[in-house]
Amino acid sequence: MVRKDLSITFMGVKFPNPFCLSSSPVGNCYDMCAKAYREGWGGVVFKTIGPKHYLIDEVSPRFDALTKEAEPFVGFKNMEQIAEHPLEENLADLRRLKKEFPNQVLIASIMGSNEEDWEELARLVTEAGADMIELNFSCPQMTSHAMGSDVGSNPELCRKYCQAVRRGTKLPFMAKMTPNITDMCDPAVASIEGGANGISAINTIKSIINVDLDKKVGLPIVDGKSSISGYSGKAVKPVALRFIQQMRMNPKLKDVELSGIGGIETWEDAAEFILLGCKNLQVTTGIMQYGYRIVEDMKNGLEHYMDEQGVDRLEDLVGLANKNIIPAEELDRDYIVYPEINKDKCVGCGRCVISCYDGAHQAMEWDKDSRRPNCNHDKCVGCLLCGLVCPVGAIKPGERVLKAGRKEKNLKKMVLQDTMEKL
Amino acid sequence: MSKKYQEEYEVAFSPRLVMEEASRCLLCLDAPCSASCPAGTDPAKFIRSLRFKNVKGAAETVRINNILGAICARVCPTERYCQAGCSRSGIDKPIDIGRIQRYITDFEDALKMDILEVKEDNGKKIAVIGSGPAGLTVAAELAKEGFKVTIYEKEAKAGGYLRYGIPEYRLPNAIVDREIDRIVKLGVDIVLNTKVGEDIKVEDLRKDNDAVIFAVGYSQGKMLDMFKDNRKVIKAVDWLKKTKIRKGNVKVPENVLVIGGGDVAMDVVTSLKLLGCPHVTDVVYEQFSEFRASKKELMNAQEQGVTIIDGYVPVATGRGGIVKFKHRILPAELKIKADLIILAVGQVADVDGLGLTLEKGEVNVRGVRIPDTNMFFAGDIAHGEKTVVWGVRSGKEVAFEVKRFLGGKK
Ligand SMILES: Cc1cc2nc3c(=O)[nH]c(=O)nc-3n(C[C@H](O)[C@H](O)[C@H](O)COP(=O)(O)OP(=O)(O)OC[C@H]3O[C@@H](n4cnc5c(N)ncnc54)[C@H](O)[C@@H]3O)c2cc1C
Ligand SMILES: Cc1cc2nc3c(=O)[nH]c(=O)nc-3n(C[C@H](O)[C@H](O)[C@H](O)COP(=O)(O)O)c2cc1C
Ligand code: SF4
Ligand code: SF4
Ligand code: SF4
Repeated sequence: MVRKDLSITFMGVKFPNPFCLSSSPVGNCYDMCAKAYREGWGGVVFKTIGPKHYLIDEVSPRFDALTKEAEPFVGFKNMEQIAEHPLEENLADLRRLKKEFPNQVLIASIMGSNEEDWEELARLVTEAGADMIELNFSCPQMTSHAMGSDVGSNPELCRKYCQAVRRGTKLPFMAKMTPNITDMCDPAVASIEGGANGISAINTIKSIINVDLDKKVGLPIVDGKSSISGYSGKAVKPVALRFIQQMRMNPKLKDVELSGIGGIETWEDAAEFILLGCKNLQVTTGIMQYGYRIVEDMKNGLEHYMDEQGVDRLEDLVGLANKNIIPAEELDRDYIVYPEINKDKCVGCGRCVISCYDGAHQAMEWDKDSRRPNCNHDKCVGCLLCGLVCPVGAIKPGERVLKAGRKEKNLKKMVLQDTMEKL
Repeated sequence: MSKKYQEEYEVAFSPRLVMEEASRCLLCLDAPCSASCPAGTDPAKFIRSLRFKNVKGAAETVRINNILGAICARVCPTERYCQAGCSRSGIDKPIDIGRIQRYITDFEDALKMDILEVKEDNGKKIAVIGSGPAGLTVAAELAKEGFKVTIYEKEAKAGGYLRYGIPEYRLPNAIVDREIDRIVKLGVDIVLNTKVGEDIKVEDLRKDNDAVIFAVGYSQGKMLDMFKDNRKVIKAVDWLKKTKIRKGNVKVPENVLVIGGGDVAMDVVTSLKLLGCPHVTDVVYEQFSEFRASKKELMNAQEQGVTIIDGYVPVATGRGGIVKFKHRILPAELKIKADLIILAVGQVADVDGLGLTLEKGEVNVRGVRIPDTNMFFAGDIAHGEKTVVWGVRSGKEVAFEVKRFLGGKK
């Protein structure tokens, strides 16, 4: 049995493990959060609480999913806003959660429409017993343009609202960023300068994921119409990881603590966010699809990973990959890796040949009689598209050669990819 | 594809295929699979772990619950247990839980994972008689709890029918060895070539130990009177044992008649075919609709070209390997002459010198302890189904009761 301590301190608060519900319907009320705590989540970011005067009125239906081949759910779209429950009820739930689960972390997510709102909400959730606060600067489908991602893409508003929150609380707080922006560092820096202790990212990506071809309207359909709204789930993980890396590389943000969000379902996803610099992790879509129980394998899998890596503190893994992500112009362009085909594993489908011809450099040749591919090195550029499409993992990175006229170097000593398989 | 006796019949999943299979799983609420394993396995949990890329966690789930996880993965009649109520059947067919478990335990072995933990020695000693699935399980479970356990086994190697019954193509002895090594590593001693009741007295074991557990199984094949002393006749379990010990290097005649229609008969006929016997005829008392053999084993036998004749009972024998049969219902007769006749008509316990009384093959007391003694019993001789996984269940149950019984003393 593996037993590792997953506890980690984030923004000065000790979490029993880094896994939290992200603010969304998965942490909508007392019962849900209590169940999540019982199933082992380290913390909860309660569904975003808004000001009393902002009335929430949701549409129905409000979700849709992007599918691909047999996968039921690679991406998820929602048209939901913030908490539907009355402010008092939400505050009462926070109070009760903190009282009954003192060792697990309670984070209140808030969203105001002006400085007074932000300050007041910060004060209220602090009084209710939250351990920390998250500022929702990032919901992309608010019905008011003074709220949500319109704020998160405006650094000045971020700074101002952080300052307001600081006036309302002494608790640590993080600003939750929107990915609907070219450079997330601007609002993140402004938020930190305004008093935020950390940054969380990402919220959902503005999207249209499917169009109904008969009714000629996006999905989900609300009386014949639809809207651009937030996209989340596995498909957004690459986008989230990129923003996390960019913030870590920004000199003004490099020491800022980060909470990673976007498409986390497995311990591997979690480990990726950690290696890119996150001390805290948040999940919504994975829970909406599979339930709180996914935390069991995320925790256990991460413990096994720590064991394999020989570390006893989760902290020791944070940010280990950051230095290996460098600008494209600095990458080594002196060598080619040719595909190595395992002819015994190969089942003779020819997919590699099709993809190489139609999508690469016509290097993969086909022996019609034996139904086996063969790579012509004169034409091959070593892109390894063939390896990605092979359905049985018969192609892996093989022989490495220096390009003509490049300076001699020891290719054996270089760190190279050794498989194209994702299993 | 031509199959061999010494090679596993069922092909193992590759990493991709096991993920495809796990992806078919519906990740049910209140999963029916997890409610129907006699040994308390939680397939829904280990399939979910696999699906979410936590194969090591899956291995922990399997192993902590079942010390014979790699064996059950191969020999369980899953169609009757975990796969019986699988929700996926509402779409197409059940998840292949056995084969997924096999992938997971193979992975555990490949990585040499060391999952089990042993509690501190509690100073109490246990003797287990018999090293079949029930004996091995009760020994392992008690060793984990800190008991000093010794197994006494009459044969030269441990494993009971796992080692000497179930054929190599379904359960390689290399797998049995690995599972037993794991149990020995927990601190269990196995004393071989020692028949309790003959080489050592039950009374002595009782004196030297805090508890004695009988797990002697049904170690003998049944004989039918009409075949007694017939030189062409051998009992199925004796033939299977010889064949497995000799790794399939046995002389297979041209024409073999097998009598019986259970799983043991299926093992015999399929083994014969895999060993190259040209004519294998199996005559079965039951009609196809009431067959006892698992569908899978019946299918394998048919795939290998065994001739199966259903509904006939043997009524007389003649010289030179002749057997006459009559149909149970129809006015029909059958006469077969064979070079070898293998009887697969059931197994019985041999409890000579053990002081046990059996009734319909089961120890005739309620519960798992012989009243007013420190003696317990498990496996085929206890009440329940006669399968490996029931042996595991029974072993776990007895371990629990022994622990409760001895809890207060010393
Ligand atoms: C050919 C065959 C195929 C089978 N296939 C399957 C299958 O695919 N799936 C399934 O679930 N079940 C199968 N079974 C049934 C299964 O093997 C038994 O139910 C199971 O082995 C019973 O376990 P046990 O521990 O009670 O006894 P056993 O496995 O019979 O072990 C008893 C052990 O006790 C030893 N012993 C007996 N008397 C003494 C003594 N006096 N002193 C010392 N040692 C003694 C014996 O030598 C033996 O090693 C099969 C059985 C046979 C015969
Ligand atoms: C249905 C739904 C409702 C959401 N509501 C909120 C919210 O109220 N406040 C908030 O900060 N983020 C909200 N989010 C965004 C999530 O917290 C999270 O940032 C995003 O979904 C990406 O993570 P994921 O891929 O794990 O879902 C919502 C997401 C979904 C799918
Ligand atoms: S590496 Fe690229 S160019 Fe070379 S064979 Fe594969 S697909 Fe074709
Ligand atoms: S894609 Fe893979 S399996 Fe198909 S022909 Fe190419 S190497 Fe063989
Ligand atoms: S019953 Fe079948 S589909 Fe449901 S969890 Fe178990 S294996 Fe999966």
